[in-house]
Amino acid sequence: MSSLPTTRRNFVVFPVGGKRFALPAEQVNELAAHPRFNEQEQQTFPHTTPLLTGVVVRRGQIVPVVDLTSLLVGSDVPAKRFYLVVSMSTAGEVNRAAIPVTGECELAYAEPLPATADLPPHVTGLLPLRDDVVQVLDLESVMSMELWA
Amino acid sequence: MRLSQSRRSFTSKSAALETVILFRAGAVIFAIAADAVEEIRDLTGLQKLSVPAEHQKFTRVTHTLDREGKRHFVIDICAHFGVQSGRASRLMVLRHAPAAVMVDAIERMQEIDSIQALPAAFRGEERNWYRGLIVVKGRVIPVVRPEAFLTKAEAVLLQATLRGSEAGRSAAVTA
Repeated sequence: MSSLPTTRRNFVVFPVGGKRFALPAEQVNELAAHPRFNEQEQQTFPHTTPLLTGVVVRRGQIVPVVDLTSLLVGSDVPAKRFYLVVSMSTAGEVNRAAIPVTGECELAYAEPLPATADLPPHVTGLLPLRDDVVQVLDLESVMSMELWA
Repeated sequence: MRLSQSRRSFTSKSAALETVILFRAGAVIFAIAADAVEEIRDLTGLQKLSVPAEHQKFTRVTHTLDREGKRHFVIDICAHFGVQSGRASRLMVLRHAPAAVMVDAIERMQEIDSIQALPAAFRGEERNWYRGLIVVKGRVIPVVRPEAFLTKAEAVLLQATLRGSEAGRSAAVTA
């Protein structure tokens, strides 16, 4: 007996403040301890791009840090504990970025629901979990200049 | 300190791409190609410059320096990058344009063998400011694009603006 077709996929669910969000698992490369919890410091230099707070060096590569806190939950959040290192397509290239998150991440296998019209453009879907419905983010949309125009 | 035209090293075992000068502005360390700098000097001989209010984009140009019969426009690097002002003590006179950059300190010269591209996530003015990034002893340092401090066109415009305001002052005195 063949199983019914499904669009269930793996997502990484991560907390930012009191809320949880999700990214497609294939986009996530690694989970790394935040600089406060090891010797590797986030470094900064002058720039004018919103949401970027600096860079970290991961495996010899310079990775920009994209802090989604202000966009997703405002500024009043607990200390960041981990970096979610992700791949995202920017300016036609696939690049890595480090997203600070405030707690443990988990893997969820679920079928996303379409985003409702009232949600911002960087939310591509809703992921129904056992105890929660979390927003699935589109990082390319988050980083697009149009969002900040 | 006058710098020679080429600082490339052909003798070291690991082929150096180029030599850069590491300098400090506020709390930030930057790098600039040594070939882009004509001279490093102290701040003597600077003359205060007041740019007319309609040229707001030139507020980063704070002084002039007359050197070898040529006027150079002096850029306050902290104003240029919008970093907290430090204590300027050195001037880097650039080769490509009649411009000099006022910085807090010169750290040292450094041979580098690669420059990493600025990650594409950086989409603001920094794409013009920097050629890329280098890592020196674990520290990420932006390599500045010298022509971003003052383009030749901006220098011409500044010279014309100053000539215009000087002519206006002289006409007012004559009248």
